[in-house]
Amino acid sequence: MRYCILDVDLSRPLPDAKIGLTESGLGLVVRWRGRLAGFRMMAVTPNTTVPATTLTELAQEWFGDRLLALEVERVIRDRSKEATPPAPSLTIAICTRNRAERLIRLLRSVTAPGTLATFSSWEIVVVDNAPPDETTRNAVARFPTVHYLIEPRAGLDFARNAALRFASCDWIAFLDDDVVIDRNWANGLYKAWCDSPDAGGYTGLVLPFSLETEAQIYFESHGGFGRGFCPIDFRAAKLDNPLHPVGAGSIGAGCNMAFERSLLLSLGGFDEALDMGGPLPGGGDLDMFYRVLRAGRSMVYEPDYAVYHEHRESIAELRRQYWSWGLGFMAFIAKSRRSDPSLREKHNKMIQWWFGNKFLAVMRTAVTARWQDCQFQLAELRGGIIGFFGAYDRSTRRAAKIRQSAR
Amino acid sequence: MSPVIIHHVDLSAAEPVIPLNPALRVCIVFWWRKLPLGMRLYLSEELPLRRSQWIVLTAELAAGQLAARLPEWGAPFGAVYDGRPRMVVSKDALLGLGNPLHLLEKLAQPAVELNQDITVIVCTRDRATDLDRCLHSLIAQRVPPAEIIVVDNSPQASASLVCAGFPGVVYIHEPQPGLSRARNTGIAAARSALIAFTDDDVEVHPGWTAELSRAFRNNKVDVVTGLVLPARLDTEAQEAFQFDLGGLGNRFVPALFDTSFFTRYAAFAVPTWRIGAGANMAFRRSVFSRVGPFDQRLGAGAAGCSEDSELWYRVLLAGGQCLYEPRAVVFHNHRADWSELTKQMRAYMEGHVAALIVQGAYAPRSGNHRRIWCQIPMNFLRAVKNGSRSRRAILPYEISGWFRGLRYFWRKEWRTPRSCTLNSILDVEK
Repeated sequence: MRYCILDVDLSRPLPDAKIGLTESGLGLVVRWRGRLAGFRMMAVTPNTTVPATTLTELAQEWFGDRLLALEVERVIRDRSKEATPPAPSLTIAICTRNRAERLIRLLRSVTAPGTLATFSSWEIVVVDNAPPDETTRNAVARFPTVHYLIEPRAGLDFARNAALRFASCDWIAFLDDDVVIDRNWANGLYKAWCDSPDAGGYTGLVLPFSLETEAQIYFESHGGFGRGFCPIDFRAAKLDNPLHPVGAGSIGAGCNMAFERSLLLSLGGFDEALDMGGPLPGGGDLDMFYRVLRAGRSMVYEPDYAVYHEHRESIAELRRQYWSWGLGFMAFIAKSRRSDPSLREKHNKMIQWWFGNKFLAVMRTAVTARWQDCQFQLAELRGGIIGFFGAYDRSTRRAAKIRQSAR
Repeated sequence: MSPVIIHHVDLSAAEPVIPLNPALRVCIVFWWRKLPLGMRLYLSEELPLRRSQWIVLTAELAAGQLAARLPEWGAPFGAVYDGRPRMVVSKDALLGLGNPLHLLEKLAQPAVELNQDITVIVCTRDRATDLDRCLHSLIAQRVPPAEIIVVDNSPQASASLVCAGFPGVVYIHEPQPGLSRARNTGIAAARSALIAFTDDDVEVHPGWTAELSRAFRNNKVDVVTGLVLPARLDTEAQEAFQFDLGGLGNRFVPALFDTSFFTRYAAFAVPTWRIGAGANMAFRRSVFSRVGPFDQRLGAGAAGCSEDSELWYRVLLAGGQCLYEPRAVVFHNHRADWSELTKQMRAYMEGHVAALIVQGAYAPRSGNHRRIWCQIPMNFLRAVKNGSRSRRAILPYEISGWFRGLRYFWRKEWRTPRSCTLNSILDVEK
């Protein structure tokens, strides 16, 4: 089971899509005049060719309205063209651990000529988190413009905070080591900044990098990290979500996010007890989104600011990921419930809703004998239970210990 | 619950402004000059919108209008089940689009003349203040209609005083109760080729009659319906009616309802209630001689409502066409009291079931009864499961309306086909 990913710009002539012998489907990324307009997966017979006319018809059917909206938006923006402010300076922070190959792939996409041309002043820093050997250092050495930094204390948020301390630019964009950036990534980030200069942070679209395994296809077809192709402005309240900002999960994903550096510093950086790996591998990004919103700044989701994420390859890894989402989410909820008493009622409702919803999902999938769905839901529920009952406190003690021993 | 404030915003203006106000929620109706584009509800925390949000929103709404309205792309398009037009924007059309704002500007040109005389009929019953507002809006039409007829359905003739204040308004007293009866009386008295209906609790947009008339000129259709916007959302009942119960339709793009619409959904009950609302509809006069007048067993004062959708059902069955054209705008005053709303929703459901029984007699094996016995109860279950708080609060009244509607099954004459010819009280041909 493999899907090939095809990236087409509908404003140009399309190629025929050749489906290989081992491929059973197609993931179609559609653009309009370079801008991302839609993504959709479909099953295709192996070893065939999908002619360009069919591709065009499908893309029109799925995304025609969106393409027209993009076209109108282009004209309106051209009409009201005003002087765009000079771009702020940008630090790109990549936290990594033992994934030299993927890191090289990412650094290639970031340092490709012209990628960062929008930003006149930028720096790239790789934070090597508790490295067991020299491979990451050697990998980074191949890119002369990239700074290398070691954070000996294991934990993603230790690394993110190290990057934050190192950074000297106005904005800091975080990337995980398992992504590759889109060619318009920097333009998208700049556009988000021009559109909403008062926002505290931006999150972006996350598309699949590859759909090579059952787990990757499963994850992407069950929603993936996608938040759609329209920008979303997250402020103190949202009409369609009475619990907002509690939860913060719909805002974006930590593998592709950017913040105003001074804001992060004034908020005291990431919570190092979250995203600790091992016992508590998650929640740090949600926690930061939540604190930005609670500090009175907005978060903006911008689809043009896009990356491609390598999803977990095996079912076991994916199951662990679901577990870690449940765990990280509930640990974060337990933490913010305690630290933010004015929203306690919303937190209580969120806890009720989350556990009820997960329990129902487990029951529903079990009754209909969808065992795979069931095991993922169960993993997430199990993670949530551990997360809610003291995971954050245990992790805080562990983080304190790590800090002490590193001193 | 605090009231929802309604704002009208013209997106063709360079920098749209929403005045700040203390309301918890703001409902914004977006226009491009005289062309309604869409309506959204916002929390005050989500406002003001940024410049970029205005641009994205304008683009999205403008794109929706262009896709559904450009005649060179084949508009108006046939409707699907939910009443929205089915169309696909092709890439070649996009590449040859030209300046979309100029096209939109052209689409937004208001109608300025009446091509055919139009009679406006308002049926009323004991709502003097509402009727007064309604008539004020009617005499303020940009292009005045040929005649305005008020049919007073109140036994006390309470509307005669109001009408006395409007010279030129024709007053007819129809003491026999029933909205359908009153409308038929109005039709018999009307002299124009086009007959438009609105309700006494409505205020019409200044361009209403002109837009209806233009829709009839540009399209060979028998019926034109239009957009019904909320006039005010001051109470919980009004808000629930608009946002939880769907209001009287909130589609902003035109759609064509024709024989293919009818045949496509003939296995289910054809959803003719998606065509529009009785508060904003117009007919060619010839329709009534072809398919008959309003069914006097249906409608307010009789079995409840749905006399409008039942008539459209007959129009489609006879091969006619209906056009939903949201450019023709009226503003409806929803029921302000919760108890009024529950009564109304019960009457809606009762009338709906009654109309389905009547339609089942015209078109046997057409799914009308399946809707009564399967779809509607399924909708109830869905409302229990996913409905909002207000939706669930209304549900018992709807269910009771459903049971009341079922009573008509026991009336044999409702289940046997009736020849749908002209009623004797009408002499449309004269």
